[in-house]
Amino acid sequence: MRVLAWRAAVLVGLLGAWELWAGRQDPLLYIPPSKIVPALGRLLALETYPSLPEHLGLTVVEVLVAYGLAVALGLGLGFLLGLPRHLGEIYEPILSGLYAIPSVVWYPSLMLFFGLGPASKIAFGFLLGFFPVVLAVLAGIRSVDRHLLTVARALGAGPGACFVKVVLPGMTATLLAGLRAGLALTLVGVLVGEVLGARAGLGYLINYAYGLLRTADYAALAALALVLVVLIDGAAAVVEARARRWTG
Amino acid sequence: MSLPPIEVRDLSKRWVTRDGSVPALEGISLTVAAHEFLTVLGPSGCGKSTLLSIIGGLVRPDAGEVRIGGEPTDGPDPRKVAMVFQDPGLFPWRTALENVEFGLELQGVSAARRREIARGLLGPVGLRGFEKRYPRELSGGMKQRVAIARALALDSPILLMDEPFGALDEQTRLLMGEWLLGIWTATRKTVVFVTHSLQEAIVLSQRIVVMTARPGRIKASFEVGLPSPRDLASAEATVLRGRLWAEIREESRRAFEVEP
Repeated sequence: MRVLAWRAAVLVGLLGAWELWAGRQDPLLYIPPSKIVPALGRLLALETYPSLPEHLGLTVVEVLVAYGLAVALGLGLGFLLGLPRHLGEIYEPILSGLYAIPSVVWYPSLMLFFGLGPASKIAFGFLLGFFPVVLAVLAGIRSVDRHLLTVARALGAGPGACFVKVVLPGMTATLLAGLRAGLALTLVGVLVGEVLGARAGLGYLINYAYGLLRTADYAALAALALVLVVLIDGAAAVVEARARRWTG
Repeated sequence: MSLPPIEVRDLSKRWVTRDGSVPALEGISLTVAAHEFLTVLGPSGCGKSTLLSIIGGLVRPDAGEVRIGGEPTDGPDPRKVAMVFQDPGLFPWRTALENVEFGLELQGVSAARRREIARGLLGPVGLRGFEKRYPRELSGGMKQRVAIARALALDSPILLMDEPFGALDEQTRLLMGEWLLGIWTATRKTVVFVTHSLQEAIVLSQRIVVMTARPGRIKASFEVGLPSPRDLASAEATVLRGRLWAEIREESRRAFEVEP
């Protein structure tokens, strides 16, 4: 309770400071919170951008498709490389190295391949979400206690039963963390892709408002993006906690 | 069906390591009679665990063979052989009860029957009321009792135990030994028990074989004719302890010296 009270106090203090400071600056560049709230109201009332729902919907669809691909391919490749131990040892440094390259350097080539439409955003979101998933699968498989596999074999478990009853539950925590990180990064990838060049989507609107120096709208849209991120990550956190409890 | 004994013939095994291959076992032969409680005693690193893993079908020997009830082994066969390790190896995502059920699950025993068997095993090992606990909520001795209950659930005639009480404190260790003897008396299983503790070997076994330092061979075999319950302070026990120590002392020193 006291922590909550302190958090609220810090937040109010920051907003107050922002308000006081921004009020004395160029209103074209610096927006105080008191102007964002009405801008957000007009945005949600669909006054400023009547097509906001379509843009938002497109962004969500792009995220879902990109994440679906990232999970499917990440899990597939991860298990393919991770289950035979030596293959995992060969490929993991390569994957980690690719992951370490700032992904945004791939974006121009993705635009060339996939154009300005949703495909390039999906590709970029996939690219960002894929690596945490595949690396989590490899790390998860490696984190399984070898002794538990020996025990399972002694109790009569063949390769299939070892996988289902020991490897999968043993790697759940690592895997879930990777899946959640992948989702957050997919979302970032799609939004960044839309901001850098698109014809529709939430990121496109942000870039559009920014380009026209509609700073209050821009800030309101950014707040909306924040809400979207928090909602999606919150949902993922709930799923993760459930799954964790379920697997002990 | 009569309980099948274990026959080990001319077993050899080398472990391949980064620095070349190390002989773990060399020409081991051993026969265990039905219902016998045999202890394998040896210095650390003498290949006792390797021997047990080969008997259990977890490791393939380079040469020689193991016959269980007259049939050569080909991989783990939980219907004949159950194993207990020094590290209990409980599945952390399963409750005590679910851990005990693991082997039965693999054999396709129905959920209701499994539960009944597992409950019936946890009661006598003093874990009534702990069925729903997860391994992290249990003490070291309790964990090992769950692991033993899990092995007993297979209802196999042979029980292989690899330093099962090695990680426990002295008092718990003694109590667990007594408890195990009770189980053995009640079930009449054939037990092969690996330890490096003279005391444990004397208290538990009908027969003790001493292994040499690496590569492991059988050095000596002792029938323990002491009445039970065994009194470690008795004259006979002291004499036996002295003879065992004489056999194992030299091996321990050798193992000590080759230790890197």
